[in-house]
Amino acid sequence: MFLALRELRRAKVRFGLLIAAVGLLVFLILTQQALQDGLVTSFVGAIRKQSAPVLVYTVDSQRTLQGSVVTPELAEQVAAVDGVAAAGRIGQSTFTVTVGDADETDAAFFGYEEQALGGPDGLSAGRLPNGAGEAVGSDTDFSVGDRVQVVGTADAPAVTVVGLAEDAQIQVTPTLFVRWSDYEAAVLAANPDADTVLPGAIALRPDDGVSDDQLVSRVNDVSDEADALTRAQAADEAPGVAQVRQSFQVIFLLYGLVVPLVTGLFFLIVTFQKAAALTLLRAIGARSGTLVRSLLVQVVIVIGGGLVVGTALYAPLSQVEVGSINLRFDVGAVLFWSVLLLGLGLGSAVVAARRVLAIDPIEATTGGGAR
Amino acid sequence: MKLALRELRRRPGRFAVATVILTLIALLLMFLGGLLDGLEASSTGALRAQRADVIVYSSTSQDSLVRSRLEPAVREQVAGIVGDERVGGLGSVQLGGRLEGRGVRDLVPVVLFGYELALTGLPEEVPARGQVYADEALRAEGIEEGTTIRLGPARTPVEVIGFLDDSQYSGQGTLWGSLDTWREVLDANRPGERAGAGVVQALVVRDDPARSGDLASAIDGATDGATSSLSIDAAIEALPGVSQQRSTFNQIIGVTVLVAIVVVALFFALLTVERTSLYGVLKAVGASSGTLFAGVVLQSVVVTLIASAVGAAASVALDAAIPAGSLPFVATPSRLLTSVAVMLVAAVVGCAFSLRRVLKVEPAAAIGGAQ
Repeated sequence: MFLALRELRRAKVRFGLLIAAVGLLVFLILTQQALQDGLVTSFVGAIRKQSAPVLVYTVDSQRTLQGSVVTPELAEQVAAVDGVAAAGRIGQSTFTVTVGDADETDAAFFGYEEQALGGPDGLSAGRLPNGAGEAVGSDTDFSVGDRVQVVGTADAPAVTVVGLAEDAQIQVTPTLFVRWSDYEAAVLAANPDADTVLPGAIALRPDDGVSDDQLVSRVNDVSDEADALTRAQAADEAPGVAQVRQSFQVIFLLYGLVVPLVTGLFFLIVTFQKAAALTLLRAIGARSGTLVRSLLVQVVIVIGGGLVVGTALYAPLSQVEVGSINLRFDVGAVLFWSVLLLGLGLGSAVVAARRVLAIDPIEATTGGGAR
Repeated sequence: MKLALRELRRRPGRFAVATVILTLIALLLMFLGGLLDGLEASSTGALRAQRADVIVYSSTSQDSLVRSRLEPAVREQVAGIVGDERVGGLGSVQLGGRLEGRGVRDLVPVVLFGYELALTGLPEEVPARGQVYADEALRAEGIEEGTTIRLGPARTPVEVIGFLDDSQYSGQGTLWGSLDTWREVLDANRPGERAGAGVVQALVVRDDPARSGDLASAIDGATDGATSSLSIDAAIEALPGVSQQRSTFNQIIGVTVLVAIVVVALFFALLTVERTSLYGVLKAVGASSGTLFAGVVLQSVVVTLIASAVGAAASVALDAAIPAGSLPFVATPSRLLTSVAVMLVAAVVGCAFSLRRVLKVEPAAAIGGAQ
């Protein structure tokens, strides 16, 4: 221990560079983890946040709410499935809006018929809407009291934000949960050529004793046009989400490999360089276990230092917004990567440790330790 | 210099782990860059393929194609500036396509465009109603010349009569037909997005060489602010997420390059420490500090070149192995060469950390053995 710490003090630049390298890698990993989580939440937050346990899209929609059009016939067929306690229409479109006196901007309207069938599930501020003309907005984009006017024909609707919901964006756009009548009016105002506003999905609540998964199977069995999904499936299987996750997994894998390799290489070279001194220590009575422990203490200090540096760099960055993506400091991610990288780092020191264990004290008398 | 190369040949094992680490970092750089290129290519192709100077959206659309809507009267105003033959309508709709012999739930996601002005790689004449050109990316789905694709829930049939390259949009393969075909498909499948007679989502405009002044400003002036006209490059930048995506990826790539610099610095600093006595001897027999440092740089360049070559080969293999439609990764020669150049710069910069130590080596120490 004493030797390990003294060596760290004596070779500050050498160990400092290694801590910097590990710190930068940890920073990159945590930042990209935050980006991945923020991106996925911004893509499908509203799907997770809405209250309906089962959503039925059309097969043609490829699981995008905006691209789905449920015909009245299909809606009737779905509502009549055995095990459906209640059904309601859901629609989503993006409109150009003005918020108060500000310039025009984008807002996604998430239209629902009943609070328990697509309304926001949980608020971070304010209250739920009492009826048409009121809305719940994504809390990073709106404030309670905001007046949101759809840009379109003269009779384009306006809604007042009465509540806020956390992580409620869809398609990385500021999002408002609005009543179906407001949604319908917004669609017609934005496109006067439209004569019918059909829902993008049907929200279902199962009867008592029927699970969400059972209801999904029953609906899919009834019609080849219907694509029923549980709320979690609808979020996880939305187009783009799986691609985002796959891409980041490859990146994490590569970074995860670089950290232990860099650490392992460093300690292997250092052990080679110290071979003569280690042999001498063994010759004057130092036990192999003591030397290996010193090595492992250094590994823990270096990886620990890197984790501290990386987390310190990540902390301020995790408070910012990248475009419309809201990043967040994720304690779970920090702990997961800390444990994983520490484990991999200690594992990578095995080669150096074996080298230490293989030192023969007799070589101190022959000069072999220096070879 | 010869000595440096001879050491690489005689003791390759000493450089093996560093080469593996740099290979992983090179692969990371190429993967991140390839992912960025793939994402950009798959979302901007339809705009890059336009043989036009300006794209005109409605002023309330926030420069979004799907939300833009231009009446025939606006088209006349635009045609008044450059002539009718230089103005073409554009419309789009994202749908699922059904192919003969595939399962009822196995759809191909496509974007159907209606156009008037020929794109790069297409003949001047617009296809007849019900016929389309398909993007090359759709060949991976088994689509060939003569294939009939049934679009949307209404199963509107379109026949593929040829292919064009690099015209993907929103990460999906595209189909290019007449405006009539587009209106027919839209009308049948998306009643809420129906476009009336003569209504288009955007106009693409070729400038008249005889005209002077900024075309985009002239159009917006002529339509009295009813339009938002952008150059093709500006329209690409206005696509949701394109610029944010690029800056985020470039920042990640930048920090990864920093890691490469630190790794090279660390590795060659350790090697230099190991060789201090050897450098002392070499200096004692007349080698200059410059020659010794050049040897270190040469070794780092060779190691980096080997790592970059393996990384590039792995990237090309990855590009070939990734199934079409999964990860948006492309390994372009320019991206690979840029990454190699960046790695080489990182190697040389990293080596500079060892320069001070090489300069400090005292030849007298080699004789006195005071290292």
